[in-house]
Amino acid sequence: MAQLNEISGAGLGLKRELIPQLQKAFGKDSIAAIDFLEIAPENWIGAGGRAAKQLAWFTERYPIAAHGLSLSLGGPDPLNEVFLQQVKTFLERHQISLYTEHLSYCSDGGYLYDLLPIPFTEEAVHYVARRIRQTQDILERRIAVENASYYVAAPVSEMDELTFLRAVLEEADCDLHLDINNVYVNSVNFGFDPQEFLRGLPSERIVYSHIAGHYQEAPDMIIDTHGQDVIDPVWSMLEEAYRFYGVFPTLLERDINIPPLRKLMREVNIIAGLQAPYFSNQRPKRAATG
Amino acid sequence: MNNALPGFQQYQLQFTGHIRDPRGNPRPPKVPAKRMQVYTEIVFNNLQSSVSACFPVAKKVLGARAWKKLIRGFFMHHQCHGPLFRQIPEEFLSYLETAQDYSEQTLPPYLKSLAHYEWIELALAVADVSIDMVAVEVEGSLLEGSPVLAPALALLSYNYPVQLISPRFKPKAPLTQPVHLLVFRDAADDVQFIEINQVTARLLAILQTETVTGRQALEKIAAEMAHPDPKVIIQFGQSVLEDLKAQGVILGVQLK
Repeated sequence: MAQLNEISGAGLGLKRELIPQLQKAFGKDSIAAIDFLEIAPENWIGAGGRAAKQLAWFTERYPIAAHGLSLSLGGPDPLNEVFLQQVKTFLERHQISLYTEHLSYCSDGGYLYDLLPIPFTEEAVHYVARRIRQTQDILERRIAVENASYYVAAPVSEMDELTFLRAVLEEADCDLHLDINNVYVNSVNFGFDPQEFLRGLPSERIVYSHIAGHYQEAPDMIIDTHGQDVIDPVWSMLEEAYRFYGVFPTLLERDINIPPLRKLMREVNIIAGLQAPYFSNQRPKRAATG
Repeated sequence: MNNALPGFQQYQLQFTGHIRDPRGNPRPPKVPAKRMQVYTEIVFNNLQSSVSACFPVAKKVLGARAWKKLIRGFFMHHQCHGPLFRQIPEEFLSYLETAQDYSEQTLPPYLKSLAHYEWIELALAVADVSIDMVAVEVEGSLLEGSPVLAPALALLSYNYPVQLISPRFKPKAPLTQPVHLLVFRDAADDVQFIEINQVTARLLAILQTETVTGRQALEKIAAEMAHPDPKVIIQFGQSVLEDLKAQGVILGVQLK
């Protein structure tokens, strides 16, 4: 078995709805493709009682990745350092080696509890990069930031998303959490070539990725719900990304309309199957089913 | 708008200002209405779901339309300072303290009590407190030892019968005597509600705040009541203590 703090292979988001099923299926072949789980620290920090016991159960058995929601890296308020200290203690206590956040904002003097787009401007690059550095200093570790999905292109933007993303990563010197589905969603919503976007990424910074389903509202409008099955073009992009950059740990996100675990496992197995050729010398993985 | 802010931040504040209050604040210039609407809907609906999940009775009693207005007021007028999603209900409770000032509708007088009663279940379910049972003598005498209470526990008094409120029962006036509720997380991590009388409430309050034996706590109560025969109180109290132990409210006594 891999080290408990080492994130690699295929993963699944630890949603409350799935906890009993995961506990029951632990150790069985049906979920063998799950190499790690992901949690939002915001849902577990400071939680006692049943939640604390459940978290302990999983941290004893799986490597855990932390994917944050409330840091508001692009927000107008000062970074919440009290909260960052809580995150730090939490990551250390549970020996979580990977912490990622969104390249977005979620506060304007108070929290809105949703992810909003940062305008792609020069000033914003410096501002966000400085806050990522500050975060890394406080946490005393590197973090990865995720390319976010969005629906409104800020008229004040001065550059495209890829230029902005690259500039922030470079200036902050942090890692990239590549959300494959978000690249696809934005490419439809704003009419650019997702392959070109993929190929323009700084490969040396990619440490982690997400894949998910979405809701297509109109031919030119996708809502990033994480509530449907992953579509074929997005699977192809993941495959392409592996081919181009080599394999990286990949997590299936499913936040609403959560189907039974056995159904989700079909998609986790697909991830494992796409990764399998890259792991062939190291360990056997289950074959892809799709 | 603060003109000292960089342009991208002025835009961000305009963007969220419109999301919080789409009628009162225009969207940023040149932003397509249809795209903007995705945000105004998603962000509000998510917030509404988070609040509603904790307050199902309050939502039902107010009705869908009034509830939605109340959440909109919360979004417009309250700044949430808690980064954790589970803090949203608590932020809402604090908004309810001033909600009437912002509301054209008259909010029911029992709303704050009812909401608090609904919130306490969540609060105790996740309260990050535990007890080292090594320091507890489970079978010790509840009269001669110092009873140890379940760590996640709240003693509450409400001026409305919050536990009975429903769309079919909306109290018109406060109670003449407050209702006392004991709420605690049991050994299986489930939150239990028990209606208790005033004497039991006082007994638990003493045990919660002072290190005394069961007997000392009961003697104190007898003195407070100026009871002519404290033995009666102690006898009655002993059976109350044993009952609380059987229900999991009292875990045992402190190991000497």
